[in-house]
Amino acid sequence: MSTETVKFEPEYAQPLLQEIMDRSGQNLLACYQCRRCAAGCPVSDEAGVTPDRLIRMIVFGQKEEALKNFLVWRCVACYTCGERCPNNIQTARITETLKQISKKANLEPLVPKVAAFHDSFLKSATNNGRLSEMEFMILLLKKIKNAGGWSAVIAEMKSQSKLGKALYKKKRIHFGSEKVKNLSEIKKLVKKAEAFS
Amino acid sequence: MKIAYYPGCSLHASSAFYDHQTKIVTKKLGIELVELDDWNCCGATSACKTDTFLSIALPARNLGIADASGLDELVIPCSSCYSRSLVAQSVLADNQELKDMINSELSKKVSGRVKILSIVELLLKKVNLPQFDEQVKYKLEGFKPACYYGCLLTRFPYDIKVSDNVENPQGLDIICKRVGAHPVDWNYKTDCCGASATVNDTEVALKLMSKIMKDAIARGANCFVTTCPMCQLNLDAYQDMVREKYNISQRMPVYFITELVGLSLGLSERDLQIDRHLIDATGLLKEIKQV
Repeated sequence: MSTETVKFEPEYAQPLLQEIMDRSGQNLLACYQCRRCAAGCPVSDEAGVTPDRLIRMIVFGQKEEALKNFLVWRCVACYTCGERCPNNIQTARITETLKQISKKANLEPLVPKVAAFHDSFLKSATNNGRLSEMEFMILLLKKIKNAGGWSAVIAEMKSQSKLGKALYKKKRIHFGSEKVKNLSEIKKLVKKAEAFS
Repeated sequence: MKIAYYPGCSLHASSAFYDHQTKIVTKKLGIELVELDDWNCCGATSACKTDTFLSIALPARNLGIADASGLDELVIPCSSCYSRSLVAQSVLADNQELKDMINSELSKKVSGRVKILSIVELLLKKVNLPQFDEQVKYKLEGFKPACYYGCLLTRFPYDIKVSDNVENPQGLDIICKRVGAHPVDWNYKTDCCGASATVNDTEVALKLMSKIMKDAIARGANCFVTTCPMCQLNLDAYQDMVREKYNISQRMPVYFITELVGLSLGLSERDLQIDRHLIDATGLLKEIKQV
């Protein structure tokens, strides 16, 4: 078995590392690869990449790998890695940052449905000031249609239909939506967010 | 005693019965909840993955309303809303520039004075416990709950002081014992149920929930008790899917802590709307003994 030699060129690596440290507020250079994060990560099997590996990719300036790996897209933000890190690095804030960078650069997310979920959620929440579960689902289905056509929408609705019926029977689905009275204040915050990022 | 109250979107929709229970249980305990006027969505766990500014600004607007209410404490039963509101308060306490920037858009400015409480903190700190014991009419003898805290009650992505043990929290266990239930000692009390992954990455969420269920059952639990509407909905609504895929025969009702407290205070199944669970939660009620 041979191990691939990793090249480290500080000048090449620096811009990505600095951007992610600035945006996430995390000191990635404090990581000494003790892997306590890896031991506690509940999605490490599915992700194939553990938090320490992700940090190392960024430190080495491997942008493509850092944006397109399953840890970024399957991280459940349970904060176990950050809680246990002896150097107080919150990797969930790094995966968050990478999702944001990916969105800003209009890159195709590795798990499109995850990005679609969060975008649709925030859209519905800021449309009315309060989340409408129905509007959120419609926005999500629209994004699923854009990515995979009507067959993807039908598959999604099929997979959720049994659950939907059960929830409806227990009066846990609401079709109405609540609106914040002072909605202009929410809109002003959204505008400021656009200017800010 | 009056305490400000932020229900959040889940408690006005899919978990409306949790909102209802919280109100009637606290009323029985002599606490009046004053719902924040014109509150908005906190952005939950989605805003921070899309826009950091909004993930702070959205809960900040609610905190401004709470700060202006004149009340000293704000209770937030939903774990996600609780976590995001605490994060916003903590970030703004350390970042005057961001605070000014957000406040310039708000009619009710954030000062940071309100103290945020979870439902567990409310029950343990704002209720006179000896008086509470006298109010307990029924003991939940046959209940062996696996107290499920999930991620967001004790772990935060920022430095926030936690009022319970982070890896082995006890707040829910203490309340359960107080009402005569017998909580089990188990390993998955702060593990993740998958949260929004049930919708956007289903296989991962089912696997996480299977581990939670298997350990709870192996430890002799006969139900879950939680505070988080997302955890409750996931374990309740997806449980049959988990059981089928991972060969688990036992069904486990998933209670909110307000249900156990409410039952012990003499509120009925109907008062508490316990029929709104997907996994039947009424069968265990025959195990309740009058004091």
